[in-house]
Amino acid sequence: MTIESDTKTVRLVKWLDTRLGLSYPLLRPVPAYAINPFYWLGALPVVAFLIQGITGVIMILYYVPTPTAAYTSTQYIFNRVYYGRFLETVHLYTAYAMIMLAFMHLMRDYFVSAHKKPREIMWVVGMIMGFVTLGFGFTGYLLPWTVVSKSATDVGVGMIDALPSVISSRLSFLVVGGGGDATELLRFYDLHIIVLPAVLLALLTIKLYMLEVHGISEPTGSKKDTEQIAIFPDVTIYLMELAAMFGAAMLLISVLFPLTLPPPYTPALASQSIAQPDWYFLWVYQILKISVFEGPGLPIALGMVTLIFILLVLLPFIDRGSSRAIVQRPIFVTLGLIFIGEIIVLAAWGLLTPGQIIPLGQALLVLGGVALIIVVISLSAFHFFAGNAKHTGSPKNTMGKFNASGITAAFAIIVSVGALAIGTSLSSIVHIILNGADLTSVATLGAGLSTLALMIVTSLFLLYMSDRTTGRLRMRNAFFERIARSWN
Amino acid sequence: MELNKVILSLLICLQLISATFLWSLNAADVISEVKFAVFLAIDLLCFAMVAYSYRKLKRGVLISPVWILLGSIGLIVLLFSVSSSHRRAAVYTLSPDGR
Repeated sequence: MTIESDTKTVRLVKWLDTRLGLSYPLLRPVPAYAINPFYWLGALPVVAFLIQGITGVIMILYYVPTPTAAYTSTQYIFNRVYYGRFLETVHLYTAYAMIMLAFMHLMRDYFVSAHKKPREIMWVVGMIMGFVTLGFGFTGYLLPWTVVSKSATDVGVGMIDALPSVISSRLSFLVVGGGGDATELLRFYDLHIIVLPAVLLALLTIKLYMLEVHGISEPTGSKKDTEQIAIFPDVTIYLMELAAMFGAAMLLISVLFPLTLPPPYTPALASQSIAQPDWYFLWVYQILKISVFEGPGLPIALGMVTLIFILLVLLPFIDRGSSRAIVQRPIFVTLGLIFIGEIIVLAAWGLLTPGQIIPLGQALLVLGGVALIIVVISLSAFHFFAGNAKHTGSPKNTMGKFNASGITAAFAIIVSVGALAIGTSLSSIVHIILNGADLTSVATLGAGLSTLALMIVTSLFLLYMSDRTTGRLRMRNAFFERIARSWN
Repeated sequence: MELNKVILSLLICLQLISATFLWSLNAADVISEVKFAVFLAIDLLCFAMVAYSYRKLKRGVLISPVWILLGSIGLIVLLFSVSSSHRRAAVYTLSPDGR
């Protein structure tokens, strides 16, 4: 009887276990190689989100989302609430850190091919989380109702009108409403404190579930550490360690650069100020300022930016190659570097030229120049690293007086100086074309071109030495001899 | 191993002292904001160092003196910045109706 009863109990437990997975460990262990901050770049924005939640909930107690009271209530938090300025400062800087870390997480995953099979959906969900994070920045920027924030938001909202009417009318109603400033502020507030956090939490749950299913992506190199570390207490303590250091860094930055409140928004003051978005939207702002995209060209610019985002979301379905190693993906790695370089240059440029329309030629020169420099540096690095990787341990690697890392470092310096020389020369040429030749510009052009020539000769010499070191000189000579024979 | 225990004890003591100071601050005072942030940062940094040491000792791996040294330098800088927080507070730009 007992045996029969036990059997029934065991069967019941097994039945439940099969369906609910009670006997399975709650969270899978983490491989030892993942005890590295680069593997947890996605966890730090979650820590930032938690800090934002805590500071945000305290501020909600005092903030009033109406155009007449928004600024005064923010001022009240600053000046009357205990540690109010500190709360506001920490809230702002953790928001910045959240955006920056999310971007670093995106680019790190891109370079190590974490988007490839079976993690395609994780990438898509992560990208949507990134957009939600930017949404937090966009909606939160308006809330203090300062002249800077309101003017910049008006520019952003104004772009909705450039979209096709079917989309713009619905999007405009969703984001701004139909009741002027009061409705707009209320919608932004609701989006910021209810809709976006709810969406982000839902997406985070989905992403964590998929992380549990697929585990942490393996390193791209040949070394695969198979030692597993339990999620509790070791990995938990490690994450708390990272969170504590992140929190301490945020506090220090908040102390060193305390926030000051800009003047309140009034239509008169807004007409005198130049609308400029926060730093994370500056690159988009700079694209929109290019002369060709002014007026009727605006939808094209918006279309281009949208296309960049769509390509990023669909990346796992575009970059489908089986190889995950960086050295075997020169094109995608170079494209990624160009993306980072252009964003940094556009943002810095946008910061330096508020409200200025950028001529198309100048934009092409700068953006094209940046892309060219990155292509040269990236492909040169691939030339050396791929060559050295191919010939590591080879008996051919006996001739060189220079070691590989020395040549790579020297070549990197040469390329950087060469890039500066190209920039100086181009700048001088533009100056001469626009303002005529004078002694300074001609001398600068001469110095730039001479430096460039010197760098080209030195880099050719280094290429020769590198090829001698890696034994490819013989292969290259044989290749040219074959071409010469075919001509004869 | 004994030295590790001494370091850990010192860090925990510092954390406790810092936490005690944290709660003794006058929240209505603008200078306290800076002190509050610095004491909290000291607490967090101490916690990170204790957690790091615990994790390494548990796995039987040697604690890297570089990290402990960097953390200690960070703590010293923070402790000095507490003493200079009065000057730091002057950097704050108060609103017209500020405290």
